[in-house]
Amino acid sequence: MNWALALPEIVLAACGLLILVIGVLRKSDSAQLCSMLTLGAFLVTGLLVLTRPGGIGYYGQFTVDSFAVLTKLLILIGAALSLMLSFDYNDRQGIARFEYPVLILFATVGMMGMVSASSLMTLYVALELQSLALYVLAAFARDELRSSEAGLKYFVLGALASGLLLYGISLVYGFSGTMDFGVLAHALGSPAQASAGLIVGVVFVIVGLAFKISAAPFHMWTPDVYEGSPTSVTVFLATAPKVAAMALLLRVMAEPFGHLLASWQLVIEVVSIASMVLGALAAIGQTNVKRLMAYSSIGHMGYALIGLAVGTPLGMRGVLVYLIVYIFMSAGTWACIIAMRRQGLAVEKIEDLSGLARTDPGLALAFAIFMFSMAGIPPLSGFFGKLYVFLAAVQSGLWTLAIIGVLTSVVGSYYYLRIVKVMYFDAPGPALDRRPSMLGFVAAVTGVFTLFFFLFPGPLVAAAGTAASALFG
Amino acid sequence: MVGTMPVGVGHFLVVSAILLVLGVFGIFLNRKNIIIIMMSIELILLAVNLNLVAFSGALGDLTGQVMAMFVLTVAAAEAAIGLAIVVVYFRNRGSIQVEDVNLMKG
Amino acid sequence: MAPTFFFYLFSVVLVLCAAMVVSSRNPVHSVLFLIGAFFNAAGLFLIAGAEFLAFILVIVYVGAVAVLFLFVVMMLDVDFEQLRSGLQRYLPVGIAVGVLLLAELVSVLVGWHVHPAATAVRFAPAPAGVSNTVALGELVYTKYILLFQAAGLVLLVAMIGAIVLTLRDRRSSRHQRIAVQNARVPGETVELRTMALGGGVPVADILRPRLTQPDAIDDDPLEPTHHGGHHPADAHHAPEGR
Repeated sequence: MNWALALPEIVLAACGLLILVIGVLRKSDSAQLCSMLTLGAFLVTGLLVLTRPGGIGYYGQFTVDSFAVLTKLLILIGAALSLMLSFDYNDRQGIARFEYPVLILFATVGMMGMVSASSLMTLYVALELQSLALYVLAAFARDELRSSEAGLKYFVLGALASGLLLYGISLVYGFSGTMDFGVLAHALGSPAQASAGLIVGVVFVIVGLAFKISAAPFHMWTPDVYEGSPTSVTVFLATAPKVAAMALLLRVMAEPFGHLLASWQLVIEVVSIASMVLGALAAIGQTNVKRLMAYSSIGHMGYALIGLAVGTPLGMRGVLVYLIVYIFMSAGTWACIIAMRRQGLAVEKIEDLSGLARTDPGLALAFAIFMFSMAGIPPLSGFFGKLYVFLAAVQSGLWTLAIIGVLTSVVGSYYYLRIVKVMYFDAPGPALDRRPSMLGFVAAVTGVFTLFFFLFPGPLVAAAGTAASALFG
Repeated sequence: MVGTMPVGVGHFLVVSAILLVLGVFGIFLNRKNIIIIMMSIELILLAVNLNLVAFSGALGDLTGQVMAMFVLTVAAAEAAIGLAIVVVYFRNRGSIQVEDVNLMKG
Repeated sequence: MAPTFFFYLFSVVLVLCAAMVVSSRNPVHSVLFLIGAFFNAAGLFLIAGAEFLAFILVIVYVGAVAVLFLFVVMMLDVDFEQLRSGLQRYLPVGIAVGVLLLAELVSVLVGWHVHPAATAVRFAPAPAGVSNTVALGELVYTKYILLFQAAGLVLLVAMIGAIVLTLRDRRSSRHQRIAVQNARVPGETVELRTMALGGGVPVADILRPRLTQPDAIDDDPLEPTHHGGHHPADAHHAPEGR
């Protein structure tokens, strides 16, 4: 047995235990130190992920292929960026405690396990490791009613989703006799071998995972949780777990259930269309930036799902490119949102941004870049994300999906451009507080990536292509 | 038949399906109390475990039972966290009625 | 014959208990019915041949989780009179949907048969000649070691989570201070009085020892305030805004 396959996860978990001990033993100021150590642990883990060889181990329960490597790196980047954004925010909100980075770290271990899972059991345990940490994080500001309400909603709906997912897993196990992805794929070699019970099980699994990526019609928790959680937690929720859950969905649909494409394709198409439409329409009336971004994320998951609905390596490549692009522009947008603070208090209304271009031109420029990218305006990175999934859909003849996608992105660009309009053309309000340098750093890095992605799409798209074909290998 | 079970799997599956429906029913129709919603979640997980154990017995394969063990472990952890969140919510809100969980809307 | 009888007995009681969990007005009753449901499910596990899980369900679930529920229900001072049932409004639609879902599931599930490839793909065939507990024990520490460790992490996260959310270091809580305890001398704490015969304790005007006055504790620099001390003033909110 090749136990070293899981070395990055083992090292990260061990670092987590160590950081926990350090945090408990230090009497004060442990939050900052633990956050720094966690960033270091992410760095070490990232290097291990990059350098360790791939393979399949632990009796077929754990696999490391180029798909896992790519998504793990994205998860680590997302977690690290959101942790950087949390330093100053947590301090000022009075929630700077060492448990915060520790929980983020263990959630990250869970996410890395999710994308490496090659058995339904690994999938479940890793998913729960991530989810439980996220429930706690959502309620982390325990003296704020909004935060505990967000935690409660997230918990109840998340636990329900886990229950449905599990029921699906139990049916799949019962009707096929195995939980191993490879064996499942073999057993389901031809659609005729899939009994009705198994299809019902797969549908339950899809419903459970759709909850986790917050795709419509299983999105109800998203706006409330995004709005209620401390913004630093929302940043985390909007980056790494999205990638992990989407990657998990890709692997489950492509590897064990790939031969059942005809059975689940329609379900994914419906979910994708519902998410795109809801993301475009429901966001229009929002006044709270965090809530608006929640609906925006639902829409983005809808676009990414187009690639999954296509079901070919080309479609999966589109999803991965979308995820790469999304994690950077999302982290950047949230860096701008977390910088919205006036006289020491966090503000989150769209009108609080009015005239930002005159009071803080740098922040306004960054925000505008991310908004244009989210809307999918060329040559920013968001355009390429959409381009690759739409191309895959057209090549497979799924014209309906592509057309609805284009229409909803036109409608959706309305509310992104409204923010730009408020920042550049409305009368300026009182200036925002000076932002900490860490926020500027994150916004600059992600902004440069978003702005200049069109100069170097080749290597990233090629990496996504290799990763996607690993799913079908 | 591979395994040896005195009662057919179908019977177990029907009982577990009833449990699942009762659990889902409890979550969506309960307008009273969050703790009852959490107990409904426990019922759903119990239904899953019954399924896994029954399949495991019928297939003569222990995988299902090991999975059920992990489900029990994770469900215990989930209950602990859920109740902690409920306690925190109650401290802030002074109520655990479902209808009161409506601060954010839109 | 006996297993069939017990199967139906346990199943019927299990389903009735589950229905009562969902519909009972008093949460305490719900928890008690939940415990009943766990016991009967354990009986079903036994019939299916999963002894170890049956006992785990009783010991861990009834012993810890259900008691935790009971504890929280009792701890939250909920006004049960207020928790009127709003169930009736949606009841007819709900029952219709529920019956429909159930009928669909049952129609799919009763067609269960062993998948043709299932015997060949069994990952952990039940070994003959050893008890269920031994067989499971031999599996979780070998084939499932990764998941076993991951489940440990899940429990750790649950511990951290529960502590970080609910532990509050109240100012009024009294910590043991060993240095002070050791430094006590009899003269500070013990006072010898001569009691009047039949006079009773109040007459002697007995005071509490000086060292345990609350103010002396509050200003102690050794007090660990780094943990959960963001709002020491009113750490314990009275429930408000009902």
